[in-house]
Amino acid sequence: MNKLITLLFSIAITVWLSVFVTDSNLHIIACDVGQGDAILIQRKTSQILIDGGPSNKVLDCLGNYMPFWDRQIELVILTHPQEDHYGGLIDVFKTYKVLKFGQYNVKSSSQGYQVLEKLVGGKGVEGITLHKGMVIRLGMIYLDILYPPDGTQDRNANNDAVVSLLRYGQFEAIFMADVENQASDGISENTKIQNIDYIKVNHHGSRNGLSKKLLDVLKPKVAVISVGKNGYGHPDPTIIEMLKIVNVKTLRTDELGNIELITNGLGQFTINKIN
Amino acid sequence: MTLRINSLGFQLIGFSLLILIIFFRYFSEIPKYKNGDFVKITSRVYTEPIVYERQQYLTLQGLKIYLPKYPEINYGDTIIVTGTVDGNKLATGYVLKNPKLIKIEESNKLLYGLRQKLILFYKSSLPEPYASLVAGITIGSKNMPSSFWDKLKQTGTAHVVVASGTNVTMVASFLISILTYFFKRKLAVFITIAGIFVYVVLSGFDAPIIRAGIMGSIAFLAQSKGRLVGSYRLLIYSAVIMLLVKPLWITDLGFILSFVATLSLMLFQKIINAKLAFVPNILREGLSTSLAAQIGVAPIIYATFGAFNILSPVINALILWTVSYVMILGALGGIIGLIVPLVGRLILLIAFPFLWWFVEIIKIFG
Repeated sequence: MNKLITLLFSIAITVWLSVFVTDSNLHIIACDVGQGDAILIQRKTSQILIDGGPSNKVLDCLGNYMPFWDRQIELVILTHPQEDHYGGLIDVFKTYKVLKFGQYNVKSSSQGYQVLEKLVGGKGVEGITLHKGMVIRLGMIYLDILYPPDGTQDRNANNDAVVSLLRYGQFEAIFMADVENQASDGISENTKIQNIDYIKVNHHGSRNGLSKKLLDVLKPKVAVISVGKNGYGHPDPTIIEMLKIVNVKTLRTDELGNIELITNGLGQFTINKIN
Repeated sequence: MTLRINSLGFQLIGFSLLILIIFFRYFSEIPKYKNGDFVKITSRVYTEPIVYERQQYLTLQGLKIYLPKYPEINYGDTIIVTGTVDGNKLATGYVLKNPKLIKIEESNKLLYGLRQKLILFYKSSLPEPYASLVAGITIGSKNMPSSFWDKLKQTGTAHVVVASGTNVTMVASFLISILTYFFKRKLAVFITIAGIFVYVVLSGFDAPIIRAGIMGSIAFLAQSKGRLVGSYRLLIYSAVIMLLVKPLWITDLGFILSFVATLSLMLFQKIINAKLAFVPNILREGLSTSLAAQIGVAPIIYATFGAFNILSPVINALILWTVSYVMILGALGGIIGLIVPLVGRLILLIAFPFLWWFVEIIKIFG
């Protein structure tokens, strides 16, 4: 009898919890997935996930920020088919219902990527081929795809990575994926991207990533570097210095864990760091 | 002249004989690898491979094998691997160097697949780490985010994700109480034992669950014959049976801990429980169980890992009461979920507050 009462009590708590866990702000979370990228964009029960990091660590992050009963991600974007970006997506597609899967028209022959493709195909997820000029809308969230131009095929997968600009009310954020210097310079010529609020710094803060030219155009208020233990020297001191000189608040996932930005889209935002 | 030996003598002789056989079998079964041996192993995978960030780990024929994460190897598959034996670190056992996966043959046996399906259902119904916790508590799956697994170990609560005695007791008492409505006692006992067997296979062939399965089966069998078998004797029987079948278990940490913990529980739990009258009801059982088990287990943990958490009994007291709810809701939700996913998910969601409590406590102390 006691057990029955506890169970009824538990049902009541579950119902209350599920009513009270969401607010109506936009949340951008740079997940701490070690060396790799995984960015969760969430408003109420709508989510966009840009990349999945190298491993199932991304599930921890999704579990931490999504409502506990929400098993649906509206859009997953893979910026480019390298393991530190797609590895965790395999676990995401296995355990979440994903409505749409966007990527540029480059594939990889690696074993892990093949597993991902097969999984996505088997689940019947709708695929979208992303390229420059496209605009994706999810509720009040707009994503402008800035790069790569349709048809380009670079020998270096980093330079075919999907770069997107998020707009939510007056708030703007740019996600630079792993694109390198030359591509950065190219993107800086786009007139859409002046004075933005937030940048996900290219290529885990590698020297061959963010360019001075791009930074001068963007004039971001916050820069987030998604990086973990690695042998490449990421993030590079010159990039850190470059950001420091122009007074950009720089946050690193290897130092802070998950980095959450919250905004109402009316010109203000706050930052939460939760490990 | 007739030789007279009383029954105690018979038992003694029989017992020493068994020990001798185990001894003999141990030395004949111990793998004779040499450094640099090239080996080809064909074997069924009897424990769920542990998936790390970039690789999966399993042991076959006494060899530790690290393979790339994909293609995925599942519990129950039969695989062929080649590699060279590397025994440099004798303390950690033999490792298979440069392992190559030649072939995976998926099992067509129902039970192995059922485990896979259940785990996937849990992980598709609840977020991490709650999903892993349900999968761990109900069927002993140890594949979970590494940060959470580390916290479980730090707090001395990793044993909850090892299917063992509690689980078998719950499965058995659930089955027997339902079956006796429909069948004669004897048949009910028989089906219950079959049920225990199914549960053991479902939970993976780890030492603690096999021990619990054997102890439970013997106890029920004896009961159906109208006999009571003392718990100490049950423990010895199951140890002997297991070592006869697989003598290498004597060096398995899981095997040792399982037996020591059970013995510790039998010896001390009642005494400690009586002394803890001042502790609130809901926590007392957990605290006394944990304290009693720790008496035997703590020294072994300390000797093996060089550390153990002094607060562990307190942490255990705070979380153990949730385990039975999670187990019941997890099993019910899982089984129903395989047929009607939506209903199964709703049942699992009811377990959420218990899981949330468990995880928060672990976070505070971890």
